[in-house]
Amino acid sequence: MAKINTAGVDTDRVKERLDQYKTKMKLSLKACAHCTLCAESCFLYMARDKDPKYTPSYKFINSIGILYKKKGMVDKVTLGEIRDNVWERCALCTRCYCPLGINIPEMLALARSICREQGVYPRYDRE
Amino acid sequence: MVNSALFDFIRGPLVWISFVVFLLGLVFQTYRFFSLTKKNPHVIYNPRPRKKISKESIDHFINKTKLSVAGVNPVMIIVTTVFHICLIIAPLFLLAHNLLLDQAIGFSLFSFSEKMTDYLTIVLLICGLYFLYRRLFVPKVRAITDWYDYVILLIATAPFITGFIAYHQLVPDYRLIITLHILAGEIMLMAVPFTKFVHMVFFFVFRFTIESEYSLGKGNRTW
Repeated sequence: MAKINTAGVDTDRVKERLDQYKTKMKLSLKACAHCTLCAESCFLYMARDKDPKYTPSYKFINSIGILYKKKGMVDKVTLGEIRDNVWERCALCTRCYCPLGINIPEMLALARSICREQGVYPRYDRE
Repeated sequence: MVNSALFDFIRGPLVWISFVVFLLGLVFQTYRFFSLTKKNPHVIYNPRPRKKISKESIDHFINKTKLSVAGVNPVMIIVTTVFHICLIIAPLFLLAHNLLLDQAIGFSLFSFSEKMTDYLTIVLLICGLYFLYRRLFVPKVRAITDWYDYVILLIATAPFITGFIAYHQLVPDYRLIITLHILAGEIMLMAVPFTKFVHMVFFFVFRFTIESEYSLGKGNRTW
């Protein structure tokens, strides 16, 4: 397995944040049936020609799902990808609807919070 | 050819082990859920007075449904509802299962006719094929599908596929297929509390207890 270059990322802190929400996160990831019934509840998904990357479950799995799977051992590039999912593709309007009751906005907000702590967030003044 | 001792273990102790794992697992996951949430003292359940059925109330219901997930994805909602109903009632009210239950503990449930359960199985398998089609060809589903989703679909449908083959004796080695059928059922039962099947508990506990605009029940608990 290739070694991950975690330079510039405080992986201990990421892990600590994940541990605080571990049980809920684990249960939510496990309960997600990958049904994608949440898709049409996202106005960005509808506005972006139904691009699958805007599906709430896609954003949830590709942010918190990755952080959980990698136990916080992520590099800056991965955090950058997570940033795109939780900021660029989500307005955090909290309108996403999960038929199973998973709190997707809370999970995306947690991913945002972790990214922000690691200095990975959109810099609108620079970009 | 299945070894006799193995066959006896699969159709004997392993059945009870899987029931125990299934039930204790469900209790554990429900407990874990309640330990993660607390009662919200600010929520007072105040049900709206029941309206009499009128043209307006029917129109309101139709408009509301059109905007809901059932209105947006009617086919998927119908298929998934039928699939889950068949998944529960077909094995529970199958004559052969009830005969075995009666032999084992002297108690059995009501049974459908064998033809009826056969139809339910076929309907369930068609629904399973629809799920497979979505996973393979619908872009939004494909984007989040990995190998684990196919395994889950296989675990859910395997007892029905093997049961159908065994009932119609489509393969010459009946003992092998019935052993696979029993094993598939046991694997599914044991997998419920610890895999994606946990949505069985999650759905009911969340939608009925957590406060949100989508609550189906009192919704007086919070994270």
